[in-house]
Amino acid sequence: MAQSSAYRKSSSALPWELRRRGLKDSLRHDQRVKEAIRKNLRELIAEEAIITSDGTKRVKIPLRYLDQYRFKYGQPSQGVGQGEGQPGDVLGQRGRDGSGPGDGQPGGQPGEHTYEVEVPLAELAQMMLEDLALPWLEAKPERQITTTSHRFTDVRRRGSLANLDKRRTLLENIKRNAARGVPAVGQFHDADLRYKVWDTYEQHQANAAVYMLMDVSGSMTTSKKYIAKSFFFWMVRFLQLKYQKVEMVFIAHDTEAQVVPEQDFFALSQGGGTRCSSAYQLALAHLQQHHPGERWNTYLFHFSDGDNLPDDNAVCKGLVEMLLTHCSMVGYGEIRYRDDASFYGWIGQTSSAPSSLQYALQGILHPRLLSVTITHKEELFQVLQTFLQPREMAHV
Amino acid sequence: MFEVRVAELETLARDQGLDFFPVSFEVVPQDIMTEVAAYGLPTRARHWSYGKVYQHQHLYGTMGLSKIYEIVLNSDPGLAFLLDSNPEIANLLVAAHVFGHVDFFKNNLCFADTNRRMINDAVAHALRIDAYIERYGLEVVEHLMDIGFALDRHTDPHKGLLRQPYPPRRVVEKEHVIRPYDDLMDTPTRSITYAVEGERLPPHPERDLLWFLITYAPLDAWQRDVLQIVREESYYFYPQFNTKIMNEGWASYWHAELFHLYDGVSPYEMIEFARLHAGVVNPGGRYSINPYYLGYTILVDIEKRWNQMHAAGETPLTGREKIFEVRRTEDDLSFLRNYLTPELVQRLNLFAYGSDCTHPPGKQCPQCQTVVITARERDAVVEALLAPRYNYGVPRIVIQEVLNNTLCLEHLDRTTTFLDRSYANNTLMYIAELWKHPVNILTNDEDGRETTLTARPNT
Repeated sequence: MAQSSAYRKSSSALPWELRRRGLKDSLRHDQRVKEAIRKNLRELIAEEAIITSDGTKRVKIPLRYLDQYRFKYGQPSQGVGQGEGQPGDVLGQRGRDGSGPGDGQPGGQPGEHTYEVEVPLAELAQMMLEDLALPWLEAKPERQITTTSHRFTDVRRRGSLANLDKRRTLLENIKRNAARGVPAVGQFHDADLRYKVWDTYEQHQANAAVYMLMDVSGSMTTSKKYIAKSFFFWMVRFLQLKYQKVEMVFIAHDTEAQVVPEQDFFALSQGGGTRCSSAYQLALAHLQQHHPGERWNTYLFHFSDGDNLPDDNAVCKGLVEMLLTHCSMVGYGEIRYRDDASFYGWIGQTSSAPSSLQYALQGILHPRLLSVTITHKEELFQVLQTFLQPREMAHV
Repeated sequence: MFEVRVAELETLARDQGLDFFPVSFEVVPQDIMTEVAAYGLPTRARHWSYGKVYQHQHLYGTMGLSKIYEIVLNSDPGLAFLLDSNPEIANLLVAAHVFGHVDFFKNNLCFADTNRRMINDAVAHALRIDAYIERYGLEVVEHLMDIGFALDRHTDPHKGLLRQPYPPRRVVEKEHVIRPYDDLMDTPTRSITYAVEGERLPPHPERDLLWFLITYAPLDAWQRDVLQIVREESYYFYPQFNTKIMNEGWASYWHAELFHLYDGVSPYEMIEFARLHAGVVNPGGRYSINPYYLGYTILVDIEKRWNQMHAAGETPLTGREKIFEVRRTEDDLSFLRNYLTPELVQRLNLFAYGSDCTHPPGKQCPQCQTVVITARERDAVVEALLAPRYNYGVPRIVIQEVLNNTLCLEHLDRTTTFLDRSYANNTLMYIAELWKHPVNILTNDEDGRETTLTARPNT
């Protein structure tokens, strides 16, 4: 008969580099997830799951990019179940991935489903926005955006003599002498010396203000507003990430404009006609009152579909020219779908030609007026890059 | 004493007729268990996808959602892993279960040609892959393995792992034997005809995609080696895929049988055993059948039926002899077809479910979204059970020919199945990358018409 079985409690003698592969490979997997996110920022930036998350938590993003490709069936799956029921009885509806009803197929093959990763929003924003910056940022006389200061935070036994903490050194000296029975100052020793140590502090002070103007008129369909909101969403993320204390002003307008709080801005849904000048007017007034140009770097971004009242365009042009004298930059984003039949626009306007408003604005030749057209949510990243390219003063 | 009781169970198993390799048991902590389960082998060439599985299982393990009780490897001697935090009775059950598995590995015909030294070979593979990573870079090697894994289930188990290239082009004489009455036919035939062999590449539709690419694609030696490593390990796992239901049924049958005979456990332990056994062979959910349960139930049914027939003098085989024969000669496909009887389907209350649509498989209609019970007939149930088990679980795809350097593939069951388009295109890109010339595949579109997908290598 065969030999009997062995029973061991130890692990076999394996070369060191071959042990604990699971940890190594799972680190590598994490790395690939990050790479996949990085490579797909363009698509991810418009991912609904991110924009609609409440902004503080971790976000789950479906990663279709980590798929392991092979030939696989694309038809709805079938299966075998048990229990009561007659042929034709409805068991349920398929999930989005086309799997079976309810508890679905047994998980025989891991990684079959769309892979979802949880990433902290801040980390994601970091990856997406790290190369962007507010252009033409000037050092304003009174307040710096970021100031670095030093603060003494700790005491150590070694350090530079210039940072000697005399009071503590004296106290140590007295203590040491007292321990030997002589409570007096004198006979200094290396062990008595105490030095101050400092930390570098970055102090953030706001002297940049960003005005975000959004058209919420009737012609701005839900999907157009989605693009505008997505842009502003990332704008806010970006400002919070990079500048921490930038002041943000949100203005929503149809024929009339109003300053609204941030949370309302992202939940807004209105109707009515469009008079862009109202928003520019309000922004200008607000700007002159709160963020005068000599002390503030001011940025203004406006998103609209360009269906402005025709007689308003000239007014807008004048106001934008005024704004440009106050602002570091004015960005105008026009959201236009290729197949979009413009109801308010003048006859003959085609999707490839700029709207009347954009046409009017193009009359202003100013290096700090940036105008872009966006036709699809995948272009969002490009728009962010256009508006937030780090630009030097030399360009002016 | 655990070791003593394992030895007693082993003796008992051998007395019952089980014939297995000696088994080496390793008692390991949870995370090692998770790792071995994720990789399928204790040490294996590294790849990020194992990390994905590992992470997933590690998370589930630490959250207490799933527990891996047992891992057993097809090798000689057998190697099994037991969890150190399991109660002794659980590990005794697992040991008995393992004896069933190792007997199955040793005796089932599907496993006859498997590499019983794969545990060692996989270590060698891992070292070789590590050396390639060092030399050519992680990303490059990883990508090549991605390609290998994309194709490694398209095997040809009948041709086997080790194959020679096709015969080169040559002209062969074929002698025509003149048979009586041939002269009665109108057309006289020549006594010798000439045929050209090896003109077509491949001479017959080729199922083993990786083998073909390894043999005929313009690759470096190290690239061939990497792909061959992936292919070898895939061939090693194929019989286990192909006998999952039977193998688990057989092992469950034997742990139950051995504990039925074994008197070395206390009554308290026996209750615990019964509880664990009930868990192992639980029926599963409404929409999924536990393979352990299915295999176990069918085996018990076979034994009972043959015992009855034997008693009635209808067969020379007793029930026990019959199930030993079944474990030797069947795989899951034949096992279910031959032994999942209409009575059993009825008794287990099985039904097939899916969509009630009759249009071509690729089409999507609102009705497709509704899952209904499609049948309760035995044949339909068996086919629905087997559908995911054919051909290593992947669509049947063969290489038809090479036309002006273009590699032409064909999706064989294109009238009944549909290829996921994005996956198919990406997989074709993988093949084109190795082949370095265009690759196309004949399949059906959403309306059931023949169509060709093409991929060109990036230059």
